[in-house]
Amino acid sequence: MTLHRIRLMAAREARAERGQPDGLVAAVTFVATLILVESLAVGPLAATQPEVASALFWIAMVFAAILATTRSFERELEDDAIDAVLALPGGRDALYVGKALALTALIALVALVGGALSLLLLSLDVLLAGHLALVLVAGVLAQVPVVVLFVVIALRLRSRAALVPILALPVLVPQLVAATNGTAAAISGDAAGALGWAGLLVAFALVYSVLGLTIVPAALE
Amino acid sequence: MNSTAALHGATVVLGDRAILRGLDLEIRSGVTVVRGPNGSGKTTLLRALAGLAPLSRGTRETAARTLYLGQRAGLLRGLSARDNLRFLASFRGDPADGVGPALAAWGIAAKSANRPVESLSAGERKRAALARIDVERCDLVLLDEPFGEIDDGAAAQLLRTIRRLAGERRSVVIATHGRFELDAGANEVVRLA
Repeated sequence: MTLHRIRLMAAREARAERGQPDGLVAAVTFVATLILVESLAVGPLAATQPEVASALFWIAMVFAAILATTRSFERELEDDAIDAVLALPGGRDALYVGKALALTALIALVALVGGALSLLLLSLDVLLAGHLALVLVAGVLAQVPVVVLFVVIALRLRSRAALVPILALPVLVPQLVAATNGTAAAISGDAAGALGWAGLLVAFALVYSVLGLTIVPAALE
Repeated sequence: MNSTAALHGATVVLGDRAILRGLDLEIRSGVTVVRGPNGSGKTTLLRALAGLAPLSRGTRETAARTLYLGQRAGLLRGLSARDNLRFLASFRGDPADGVGPALAAWGIAAKSANRPVESLSAGERKRAALARIDVERCDLVLLDEPFGEIDDGAAAQLLRTIRRLAGERRSVVIATHGRFELDAGANEVVRLA
């Protein structure tokens, strides 16, 4: 696996999403709607609590990541485009890493829009904006390798739309807890807490990236 | 290895059904035609040679440069035909500057080549995929029902291309129902039951 091939794969994914941005549009719409509905459901007072606002945001992000990643692989299955890649030498490894990188950028964009919307809708005062940005990045990094891994595992199954959330959500719970606590810490001014949770999220990202690199080429076969 | 590719005792199981059982096959330079009724395993055989179908038993040897063109075009939606072919060539480490002329040779004009593939007809997408033969120049070319969806002109061009590849001592494996004229020039016709 070369960096050149990974870069090509990530660029292909980004270009395809730009040409047919239904994954991005669906994820942003989903996040915006869910944050709005969730905040209405828990009520305006509860929704402005840092812990509640963070949890609402990250629950929406997990589903948005599943949505965008599933859509990306659906596109690969249309017209059997994935076969053209898998038949290439090094295609399996580059597919995982390239897709994960491009989807990380895409989900980060969704997080940016969703985060801005949350701050606006809930009138949140963020005490540590830099720390919040760090936790957001780490949270996205921790989510994507897991979601890509499970989307690939369920790729050839007819019931994949239902299976991916069922398989991925239990594994994503620790990341969800860490991201929620880290975000709440950054909003309420707890620098040490935010950094600690961000570190844990980065560790999750590393572990699941290595796991994905080990499992995905075999799963694609 | 004198052969370009080979399967030794290859068994492929999909679900609970063995599609290929203990198949021995050597692919040499020239044309190999694979025939058989629907469901006999023609596609699975080509996918096994391409490394896309896992072998439950047996071994596979394949040329380092193998091109697999399935029944569908295999081009990613959201990208143009030109970008798809440039990506695939670059991924192999081949120069991508032959993409434009190759697409033009297969009847995809520059304007169509730059449009997203989902806006092309099925036949145009198939022709764009066939242009990969000229861009990637592989030692082993696996074609699964390549005459489906293309018009008579493109079919004639494909027949000429297959003969040219055979003349260049490259190996072409074709799974097809029709085109019995291929059998006469083939060095082997594999029949699957």
